Amino acid sequence: MTPLVSTKSTPESSAPPAVETSRLSPLRSILAIAAKDLRSELRTKETINAALSFSVVILLLFSFAFDPASDQVREISGGLLWLVFLFAGALVLNRSFSRELQNDCLDALIASPASAAQLWAGKALANYVLLLAIEVVCFPIFGIFYNVSWTAQAPLLGVVLLLATWAMTIIGTTFSAMTVNLRLRELMLPVLLYPMLIPPLMGAIQLTGTIVAGEPIGDNSIWFRLLVAYDVIFTLLAAALIDVLLVG
Amino acid sequence: MRQKLIYIFAAAAAVLLAWNLYKIFLIEPDELNQGAIYRIIYIHVPSAMTCATGFFVALCASIAYLSRKDLRFDAVAASVTEVSWVFATIVLVTGSIWGRIAWGIWWAWDPRLTSMLICWLLLVSYLMLRRAVDEPNQRARLSAVLSIFTFCDWVIVWKSIEWWRTQHPGPVLSIRNGGGMAPGMEAPIYWNTLALVLLAACLIMLRWRQEGVRREIDALRRFAHAM
Amino acid sequence: MDTRNLTFLFYGFLAAWLIVLLYVVSIAARERKLRQELDRVKRLVETKEVETRDMEQTREQTHTV
Repeated sequence: MTPLVSTKSTPESSAPPAVETSRLSPLRSILAIAAKDLRSELRTKETINAALSFSVVILLLFSFAFDPASDQVREISGGLLWLVFLFAGALVLNRSFSRELQNDCLDALIASPASAAQLWAGKALANYVLLLAIEVVCFPIFGIFYNVSWTAQAPLLGVVLLLATWAMTIIGTTFSAMTVNLRLRELMLPVLLYPMLIPPLMGAIQLTGTIVAGEPIGDNSIWFRLLVAYDVIFTLLAAALIDVLLVG
Repeated sequence: MRQKLIYIFAAAAAVLLAWNLYKIFLIEPDELNQGAIYRIIYIHVPSAMTCATGFFVALCASIAYLSRKDLRFDAVAASVTEVSWVFATIVLVTGSIWGRIAWGIWWAWDPRLTSMLICWLLLVSYLMLRRAVDEPNQRARLSAVLSIFTFCDWVIVWKSIEWWRTQHPGPVLSIRNGGGMAPGMEAPIYWNTLALVLLAACLIMLRWRQEGVRREIDALRRFAHAM
Repeated sequence: MDTRNLTFLFYGFLAAWLIVLLYVVSIAARERKLRQELDRVKRLVETKEVETRDMEQTREQTHTV
């Protein structure tokens, strides 16, 4: 857009006025991208519906593999639930960057004033919200199917949920960016993602099992520290390397 | 020059391995609790150390590629990762055979074997990613980033599986009951590690040369299409 | 018990060396394939060079005519 210059050039305004490029602050860029993703997802609801149906199906299949009534299931309920979240989460995370491939939207986003890190952060935020939403809906369903009460020590459970889901989100969003241009994208993302998520998965399973059983955290607090350390380390690593992944 | 180096390393590896075999089988006495099968430690542990060293070297090569953008570093990373993966396979197989005698079952989720299995999976994911990308620069870029992520993850896995083990005590593949092996028994492990590292270096250099040939082919093909 | 021990020890060492051998064989196979591809691409480059040389010659001839 060329600046408007008056045809009557007066001595004071002989130079054309500088063009103001409107630049959003980083935070506003991130929020704008996150809002765009969430808005487009809420309009179609395709990923949320798919992920939720998938979760219910897996819970159903698990009920055939294990006897839901036995006490043993209550012990492994934490593990079952987090496996469900992992599988359903892969659907959400895959869509994150692949939805931008149509009409070269990804190239447009990369070329926009928002840096690659801001793009990644915005998408991570949107994925985080979606994953949390799916998990929050799954908890009561799981509680009903497997006769497990989640309300004991709910705030602590909430903290575990927030930390572990963030771990899933950062790695998932980063690897989604990594695999977006590959032909076997849907296959590659789970293969790359799941081995990476084993430490936070272990922490989440261990803590969820302990919390839901009503026991005090005690020795298990080490898993909280693991989750926090994992989140911090990989958020920094991803933020540092996302430019290389997206731009080159 | 590199060809000569390959021969020297191979010869040194062969000599060391032969000498170690002699020591392992003819000099060392049987271990008290496990009998003869413990001697498998002389391949199991050195392979694990070779694999871990390789993983670290691949990390360094990947970081070097990202800072210099020289495809030769990418070739090093790919070769080293592949050879490390071979040694990880050896660790798992020998560990499983050892477990069959020591515990009576082929696999029992021993913490160290589990960490090694995860390492194996992380290395496989690297190799699969390389297969999935055709363009050399993109392949190098993505693999380098994945290498950094997987190494950091594996360090965390290693620690967290130890914690898991303290809460779910299980079998451990070791003959260090209480903290040490008899002094004579420990030395061949380190000598064998050196031998295996030399063997790994040979294999890596062979693979590295192949990566160079592949780059030459890519360049020639681009040249042919440009004409 | 001791013979079983020794048998499995043998299996262990055999497995390790078999894996290394399999890997060396795969490297050799890859080497052969790479050499073939290199020869093919070199031949491709040569034919392309001959083609461009011929094209340039015919273009020079048409210019002089």
